[in-house]
Amino acid sequence: MSAKGDMFYAWTNVSDIKGECGGAVTSILKYLLESKTVDAVLTVQKGADVFDAEPVVITDPADLVKSAGSLHCGTLLLPKLIKKYLNGAKDMKLAVTCKGCDAKAMYELAKRQQINLDNIVMIGLNCGGSVSPVLARKMITEKYGIDPNDVVKEEIDKGQFIVMTKDGQHKGIKIDELEEEGLGRRKNCQRCETKIPRQTDIVCGNWGVIGEKAGKATFVEICSDKGAMIFDGAVKAGVLATSAPEEKGLEIRDKIENVMIKMGKKNQETQFAAIGEGTDRLKYIMAETGRCIKCYGCIENCPICYCVECSTKKPHLVRPGQVPPDFMFQMIRFAHIADSCVNCGQCTDICPQNIPNSLFMHAQQVELEKMFGHKPGMDMELPVLAFAEEIDERARLNATGSDMIYENVFGEEK
Amino acid sequence: MTDLKYVTTTCPYCGTGCSFNLVVRDGKTVGVTPFTRSPVNEGKLCPKGMYAHEFVNSPDRLTTPLIKKDGKFVQASWDEATDYIAQKMKTFKPSEIACLSSARTSNEDNYALMKLARGVFKTTHIDHCARLCHSSTVAGLATSFGSGAMTNSILDIEKSKCLFILGSNTFEQHPLIGRRVTMAKKNGAKIIYADPRFTPTGKQADLYMQFRSGSDVAILNGLMQIIIKNGWENKDFIANRTKEYEAMKAVVMKDTYSPENVEKISGIPAAQLKQAAEWIGTSGATAILYSMGITQHTVGVDNVHSVANIQMLCGNLGRPGTGVNALRGQNNVQGACDMGALPVSFTAYQKVTDPAAHKKFEDAWGFPDGICEPKNGYEVTVMMDVLTDKPGELKALYIMGENPMLSDPDLTHVKHALEAVEFMVVQDIFLTETAELADVVLPATCYAERDGTQTSTERRVQKWRKAQDPPGEAKLDWEIIAMVAAKMGYAAQFPWKTSEDVFNEMRMLTPSYRGMTYERLDKPEALHWPCPEETHPGTPILHGAKFSHPDGLGIFFPCEWKAPAEVPDAEYPFILTTGRCLWHWHTGTMTRRSGSLDHEVPTGWIEINTEDAADLGIADGEMIKAMTRRGEVVVGARVTPDIMKGVMFMPFHFVECAANMLTNNALDPVCKIPEFKACAIKVEKIQEA
Repeated sequence: MSAKGDMFYAWTNVSDIKGECGGAVTSILKYLLESKTVDAVLTVQKGADVFDAEPVVITDPADLVKSAGSLHCGTLLLPKLIKKYLNGAKDMKLAVTCKGCDAKAMYELAKRQQINLDNIVMIGLNCGGSVSPVLARKMITEKYGIDPNDVVKEEIDKGQFIVMTKDGQHKGIKIDELEEEGLGRRKNCQRCETKIPRQTDIVCGNWGVIGEKAGKATFVEICSDKGAMIFDGAVKAGVLATSAPEEKGLEIRDKIENVMIKMGKKNQETQFAAIGEGTDRLKYIMAETGRCIKCYGCIENCPICYCVECSTKKPHLVRPGQVPPDFMFQMIRFAHIADSCVNCGQCTDICPQNIPNSLFMHAQQVELEKMFGHKPGMDMELPVLAFAEEIDERARLNATGSDMIYENVFGEEK
Repeated sequence: MTDLKYVTTTCPYCGTGCSFNLVVRDGKTVGVTPFTRSPVNEGKLCPKGMYAHEFVNSPDRLTTPLIKKDGKFVQASWDEATDYIAQKMKTFKPSEIACLSSARTSNEDNYALMKLARGVFKTTHIDHCARLCHSSTVAGLATSFGSGAMTNSILDIEKSKCLFILGSNTFEQHPLIGRRVTMAKKNGAKIIYADPRFTPTGKQADLYMQFRSGSDVAILNGLMQIIIKNGWENKDFIANRTKEYEAMKAVVMKDTYSPENVEKISGIPAAQLKQAAEWIGTSGATAILYSMGITQHTVGVDNVHSVANIQMLCGNLGRPGTGVNALRGQNNVQGACDMGALPVSFTAYQKVTDPAAHKKFEDAWGFPDGICEPKNGYEVTVMMDVLTDKPGELKALYIMGENPMLSDPDLTHVKHALEAVEFMVVQDIFLTETAELADVVLPATCYAERDGTQTSTERRVQKWRKAQDPPGEAKLDWEIIAMVAAKMGYAAQFPWKTSEDVFNEMRMLTPSYRGMTYERLDKPEALHWPCPEETHPGTPILHGAKFSHPDGLGIFFPCEWKAPAEVPDAEYPFILTTGRCLWHWHTGTMTRRSGSLDHEVPTGWIEINTEDAADLGIADGEMIKAMTRRGEVVVGARVTPDIMKGVMFMPFHFVECAANMLTNNALDPVCKIPEFKACAIKVEKIQEA
């Protein structure tokens, strides 16, 4: 019987699963479908080519093999898709593969009652970051001197972005080196600290798998009771074999995670410093967002945005049909989202004018976190700006006999 | 369990050729998500693309054929409708029939209609809305360079050191090309923007030149004079790659085109002209982006020639970051032209009057009774004139996916023209203003319901992939055409089972598409034409070593500035210019049925300069009367300092305040494009009774 916090090396017992490093994720998903624990698996598979990841809803376990492996150019976010197109998993049970940003987005949508997390099994994935497909191809052409059409596999390993060609060529370049030149991972990935998303049910990856199982097993950490039950079920059903992880392996995994978190924090510092402070920062944001063409991409793709009647579409707040929209459009986004931004980067990816929306939002989120102590995406703790019934709230404030709102709300002086 | 699929396809709106994924749930298109893999737009979209799913399953999609009986539309079966069409069409002589093809449908659909027109109806009269937008480009660049298309690719715009944007509000009309402008600027390029309106694009420019609509040749000649006077011209390029330079030089060096005179003609201060000329002439890699502001004039061809002239003068062709970048409007207007839906050419601009080309198509198609005569036919703007001025000459009109009742100039004239047609068939997805006048309406598929190809402004041929079934009994456009052809006895010449069959027949006759196959086009990068063999990688940048004329040389065409056909006078004291806005597409058939887009801009407006409005006593939002010699509309005023004093602007999307009620049907003599961009207008407050 496993429990939250337990860690294993796990690998598939199923002969035709050739997953990434042991195939544990694919095997667990297979078990979940075959045992009817879930109605479907929502995961990602190769689309047009190795640089393109498309989401896929799998109901037939035989189709899981197409989703095996990793796609480092898979920059998409799954939870918003669940909310928009799968009725928030309210009438179906899903297993979903989640990078850190996916996991955080799940919680934020769940808090806002847009996703029923009880109906979702989250299979977490270690993530060192993803690379935008077109930039990856440019990088491979210019820095690696390889035709991207010849690439059959790509990997991020030991701080390098590595490509393998169809005739067996292998080439890796240090991510740091690439990123110094503006290439490499997406900027939000560079800032990210959620490398092993333990807010999922089971988190899997290959960090810390050493010894004879290196490259042949997945490192699995149980993160919830639901996860424990599932893991045991998979083992019992014979799809998964396990062993205890090597002591040194645990150290290595911790080390990698900490190095990446440190890198994330450093990148935050550098990137946030570059947009200035105070009025300078505001001016910079106003200049950049002055190119906005109101495509609504940021809103449609943001996992925190879900309102049917979006304030940005209210004529008395933002004049309709005006390009660029008044700065109020951006301010509504900042005011409503900043406390809960999970730095998923979708708003920057989608922007047709290359406005670094995610950088601006994340920069504000870290300040709000310092002020209010709320860390989004970790659990079901409600956001700082939770909905309050106006009449009840006014009554409550009146009853305090004081007009000092900050104290009343945050209880500083009590 | 919900069935959820993502289908990658290309956008049905502008000519940029963006891709996105359609989200299909249980067989119905319900949303759009990013396709980050596309080299063109990298997953990014403008609002039209973002909401491109909203009109697809609109309840008023055409679902059955309709036949007009006693002035009302009655539902009919496909058999009934196509029998009726065949029976009627057989009563007309070839010269009495005209066809309008569609810049919105696929290459396969356009090829099919072209074959129907020339092979079945055997008429010479086939055209489409390219006439109204880039016919100046096709005619102008074909004579300057030997090839009438955008010379460079969208991707290489960001490598430019200087971008001169003239007659294009790129941020609103080609937003994902606007992104490349932003990227060029971040890379240090100088952005020069010339427009009577200080648009969102203008606001990002390093140099904004406000000018009077219709003074482009003067401006370009003036810039060339400054460049030559300073010795900034590219002497090597001129000597080795061009001819007729001296004739052109003689014209631009005239005093008429001195900076001071050009300032008088255009309104651009001489100092700005000098700055622009320096940047253009010395950057090393200047790209020009242009669109309707250049083409939609009675001197549209002259304007295009002048753009070609200045780029040849400075050697800004054939390399990344350079080029004459004509930004084509419609999603497949480039393809419709390439497919020969033009009165002067078969596919790939092979001339109808060339006996070799005529024989090639006649032999390949195998119509037992031959095809049309080897003569040029009427352009759509000329068709409208013939219908009103020479009644009885044109009797039948077959229209696919076009709405001239809103898109053509002088709508009163258009209405008279179309009402004079004895028998009209319209194939469309909605009952448009034009379809209302038809005798038979045929329900067609929209972009989400078809496989096929379309060609973007950068000559990239990309796939449409079917995401859902069409509503009711709607059919693919080429399928409908094949049915009509079969009813007329020509089933053998239209044997296609799939759109790929159509494409493969077409490419055998089309040198620039010959090397393309569906398999090759399936890749995200697809292929730019010309692509003459199946191993050819396609051609992102044209004119690298030689121009497309037989001797490989580009030709300078000297142009003198001429004023627009109708200029302001005492009675009509302002210039009216027309155009588009970000939110709507052309006649609004699709975008006005998309809730998100309609919410932003539910109706039209007329832009009036703040000072002019004050003089006229007109307030922002006030409903006023706008009048030209052609007609009048009631429209809301948008008072803004962003438009030049003396100029007014209206978007043409809105039937209830249709800008084309006011525009002038004056045509460029060579390419027959109307002067949408300049005529004379007056406005009045509405007197309360």
